[in-house]
Amino acid sequence: MQSTRSQPQSFIGYLLIAPPLIVMLVLIFLPAGQAVVRTFFIEGEVGTTPTLANYQIFFGNRVSVNNLLFTIQTTLITVSALFVVCFPIALYLRFSTSRIAGAVQVLSLFPLVVPGVILAFALIRFIGPRGTLQTLLDLIGLTGYVSPYLKPSGIVIGLIWDHIPFTVLVLTAGLRQVDDALVESARDVGANDWQVFRSILLPQIQRPALIVFCLNIIGIFGAFTIPYLLGPAQPQMLGVMMLQTYTDFLDKTQAETQAVLSFLICAVVGILYVRTIARKAGDR
Amino acid sequence: MKTLRREAFGIVTLVVLGIVILGPMATVTLWAFAERWRYPSLVPTVWGLSYWSETFGRADILSALPVSLALSLTVTALAAIICLPAAYAFARLKFRGRQFLLLSFLATNAFPRFGLYVSIAVVFFRLNLVGTFAGVVLIQLVNTLLTMIWIPTSAFGNVDRALEEAALDVGASPFRVFVQITLPMVFPALAAALLLTFISTFYEAQGALLIGVPNIRTMPVIMYTLTNNAVVVQYGAVISLALWLPSLLLLSLAQRFLRGNTVAQGFGV
Repeated sequence: MQSTRSQPQSFIGYLLIAPPLIVMLVLIFLPAGQAVVRTFFIEGEVGTTPTLANYQIFFGNRVSVNNLLFTIQTTLITVSALFVVCFPIALYLRFSTSRIAGAVQVLSLFPLVVPGVILAFALIRFIGPRGTLQTLLDLIGLTGYVSPYLKPSGIVIGLIWDHIPFTVLVLTAGLRQVDDALVESARDVGANDWQVFRSILLPQIQRPALIVFCLNIIGIFGAFTIPYLLGPAQPQMLGVMMLQTYTDFLDKTQAETQAVLSFLICAVVGILYVRTIARKAGDR
Repeated sequence: MKTLRREAFGIVTLVVLGIVILGPMATVTLWAFAERWRYPSLVPTVWGLSYWSETFGRADILSALPVSLALSLTVTALAAIICLPAAYAFARLKFRGRQFLLLSFLATNAFPRFGLYVSIAVVFFRLNLVGTFAGVVLIQLVNTLLTMIWIPTSAFGNVDRALEEAALDVGASPFRVFVQITLPMVFPALAAALLLTFISTFYEAQGALLIGVPNIRTMPVIMYTLTNNAVVVQYGAVISLALWLPSLLLLSLAQRFLRGNTVAQGFGV
């Protein structure tokens, strides 16, 4: 009886989930897989043979190697800075219920409603030369402002701005999973702030922190709009370089090679991310 | 004492965030109402509205707005047709591998966006989809799957089954139960998911830039040009404000139906 009832149900289930699965396979996994195959293999008269030629071109060029290193460096700096900025905010939001905390929360989620192109445009008018920030600093007597616009630091500032909501949101959600009673009882037996942080909060925050870490790295490594509009002409981040290679130089193979390199580098943290979320599903 | 120290931190954070987060948007707002704004004035030197009519008289902007709206509506409708039945299945039907397949949608987060778009662009180029409406619809669809599955799945999962069973017990047909009991309960979350998808598609710029040129130009794609070659700041400022304010309004409406946790769950937290 049970099996006759669940058989059609699972059939209908698979039928209903098939469309998005197919879209995901065809639009995400297939192009990505094809790019890997196309850049690592060459079609000759004798058939398809593996080759590293495309990657030798990339790594033989000083400009592209510089761009790759610059992308890695910018990603690491931005991700670390995001933690330094957002972790204290998340801790504060976890423990404070004041109206100030409410306002801080609204402000830190605000960038969610500002799309990347508009953010870049706004930041140029704000931090750019003769922008509002410089005017404000002039007013309080601080002259000699050097604008980060079109410099590597401009990219970092824009990307931090863009990723604050996600980082604060996930870290706060992680900290809220810690039971109040647990913190109270630790305080009752004489634990100080540092001990509460180390023994109760830190173990609980590891998973969300890992997820934020992975997704921020992937998001920033694959960024385009902010580095394109706020960054220098040279060095470029990989996303900007890809567009230039694809549309200006019309070199689709090299653009794909750069894309696959970004996949491979991000795969390291991507696998870590997938394992982290899969582990929780197992716990349930 | 401890509370005092904590709230002192809160006030400092509030001030710093206020300047850093609101400063750029306030600047753009002022620019949109400036006839002239010369450094080192903190506010526009001459105020005025003349750039509004001038901006919305530009041919490129007038043609981009309907394109953007048509794209966002098409993508949102398509995403709903593809994903909502699947969300129902994930939440309510039992089948083998359900959890794994649901999680596999999260794995799409693991691809660096622009690299993925470039590899899609190469495929679309061979299929002659570059520069077509259909091509842009497809690349924008990529970003909608997760939202359209995750939020509705959690909504369908939260429906009180007892109510449905009670209705079935008194003789209502399964279809009637779905329309009169289930749908009203999930409606707010579904509306929020549709709204989020519409808004994020409307603002999607990178995929449209890569696939749409030169025939399909959306409003955000025009913003790239206006930002990079900004002789007149006001054009970009007016469009920024006009594009951004409706989303702020709509999202603050949607926010009532979305708890922060649902959003965080969409990343696997």
